[in-house]
Amino acid sequence: MATSETGAVARRGLSAASIHAVLLAYTAIALFPVLLIVMNSFKGRRGIFGDPLGLPVGESFSLEGYTTVLTQGAFGTYFSNSLIVTIVSLFLILFLGAAAAHALAEYRFKANAFLAIYMIVGIMVPIRLGTVAILQLMVDLSLVNTLAALILVYTAQGLPVAVFILTEFMRTLSRDIKDSARIDGLSEYRIFLEVVLPLIRPVIATVAVFSMVPIWNDLWFPLILAPGDDTKTVTLGVQQFIGQYTVNWSAVLAALSLAILPVLALYAVFSRQLIRGITSGAVKG
Amino acid sequence: MATLTLSGVDKAYDKLQVVHGVDLDIADGEFVVFVGPSGCGKSTLLRMIAGLEEITAGTVAIDGRRVNELSPAERGIAMVFQTYALYPHKDVYGNMAFALKHAGVDRQTIDERVRMAAEILGLEPLLKRRPKQLSGGQRQRVAIGRAIVRDPKIFLFDEPLSNLDAALRVQMRVEILKLHQRLRSTMVYVTHDQVEAMTLADRIVVLNGGVVEQVGTPMALYHHPANRFVAEFIGSPRMNLMPARPVGRENGSAVVEIAGGARLSIPVDPAENGAVGDDWQLGVRPEHLAVTAPDAAAGQPGALSGAVTVVERLGGETLVHAAIDGADTLVVKAGGDASLRLGDRIAVVPALDECHLFDAAGRALAKPRRAALDVERPRHDA
Repeated sequence: MATSETGAVARRGLSAASIHAVLLAYTAIALFPVLLIVMNSFKGRRGIFGDPLGLPVGESFSLEGYTTVLTQGAFGTYFSNSLIVTIVSLFLILFLGAAAAHALAEYRFKANAFLAIYMIVGIMVPIRLGTVAILQLMVDLSLVNTLAALILVYTAQGLPVAVFILTEFMRTLSRDIKDSARIDGLSEYRIFLEVVLPLIRPVIATVAVFSMVPIWNDLWFPLILAPGDDTKTVTLGVQQFIGQYTVNWSAVLAALSLAILPVLALYAVFSRQLIRGITSGAVKG
Repeated sequence: MATLTLSGVDKAYDKLQVVHGVDLDIADGEFVVFVGPSGCGKSTLLRMIAGLEEITAGTVAIDGRRVNELSPAERGIAMVFQTYALYPHKDVYGNMAFALKHAGVDRQTIDERVRMAAEILGLEPLLKRRPKQLSGGQRQRVAIGRAIVRDPKIFLFDEPLSNLDAALRVQMRVEILKLHQRLRSTMVYVTHDQVEAMTLADRIVVLNGGVVEQVGTPMALYHHPANRFVAEFIGSPRMNLMPARPVGRENGSAVVEIAGGARLSIPVDPAENGAVGDDWQLGVRPEHLAVTAPDAAAGQPGALSGAVTVVERLGGETLVHAAIDGADTLVVKAGGDASLRLGDRIAVVPALDECHLFDAAGRALAKPRRAALDVERPRHDA
């Protein structure tokens, strides 16, 4: 009896260890490129090529990449462009997505099922297939080289997934709590804003994190729709250090390292929301 | 304070009709309980009164004024839900004040009303807590407090005690009864639990398949069920039913023969002399059957003999399942100390005055009315 128990404990310990080994290996693989970028951003050109895997200590340490980025080019503008585009798109995706999801989950109407499927189809069709048409449309609307063009495209790109996830979640919300708000005299808009939105905050945070990263990292649409100097985003701005014959690697890596920071900050904000949302209490226990 | 009138109320989802022509008059200050098995349409009916479901046909009127087209808030009702439906992101005070804030009531009045409700329900120490930090009973109390604060014309309760454990349910039941005595408001209460219905109601509405089977005081339903459904639904343990064949009349009683050949003479109203058909059923509640020794029962009218198959001891009483010779098993309620064992031969003697007869369609044959039963339950404001 005792031996079989210790055997079981040992087996459990072993399997836990192997699971952790796999997870640690995965973490290392996933973090390695990021670490390499950050490490090498603190080195000069010679340091990067001489010892790409070495730490930026002693002679190889140099801030020339950062000075180049902060003095040359308009990186302040690029950063604010990226931030404006990301935040406004995120707001539109989350607000419109939640509103659409609320309607699909809450109300019975004839086209309900059709609309839900129509939204989901949007997930499967890559928006880039429509690039040429989008460009023509933006030219016709005189929106080329504006941040509005990017915001519109990203909102369209992010909505299907947001609607899909939020609808599924909203279907699980208690009907009683909305009915209770109706009896308390709230209008349907107020029910959405004051009762439903606070309840789905954790899911909103999840969708925000999912939607944010592709927008921030996108190179394609800024390159095509807004390549002007005033409307460049960070990812596009970095390209100026990549020349046809020479690449200023320390500047590229410094710019990329800086580009990580705002996303990290936004992520921190949303993940705190996420945790607070989960612990804020449910309908019944 | 208000009256509530339903006339010809129907509810249909597409082609599926779930509530069929309900007519009901509820007096000011009355406590009415809708009771029925799940899916009988009782909650749907309540939600139609609340304004949460559209009314397919018919009229709902509060104080004589048609409210079909009014929103829930305009109807002046308050509702307590089974799942409590508290706002998890607001504390107890915020939950109770929410509706008034939206109605634009001034701060001081809100504060007075919330404190008054909290005092009635003993919630004062909990006002700053979030719903998550409360027990089930406390949450339901907050939900009731939220209703009280609004000073509604009519309180609606949708199975408010079903999520609570048994002990708490009994305690909250008493609290709701006291609340009604204190507020004297019109209350409509939905439950599937016939004990809640019997203990709380001034009048019970028994629903089945979207149809009102019977409306009456708890005692009227108990002693004069209109049909087999009501007879079986009201009372616990449920009424014993056995096939009975009418064989004749004598002195205002119908004589029936049950399986095994025993003949019983059941008093019925003279108006039922025309009742015909063969497939009748005899109904008798477990508490109206007495257990005796087989020889002591000889000569007693209607005595049936059988053997004990199950003994359920509840302490204060004992439920005896007796397999009657040549007939079905009957459940008999006996004293707590009844010395019975499995396989014992016993005789079961029904109180013939308390037996019910149902015709082939399940309709109860009217019984001679007893004056004492027509008295309504004493009103709480007496």
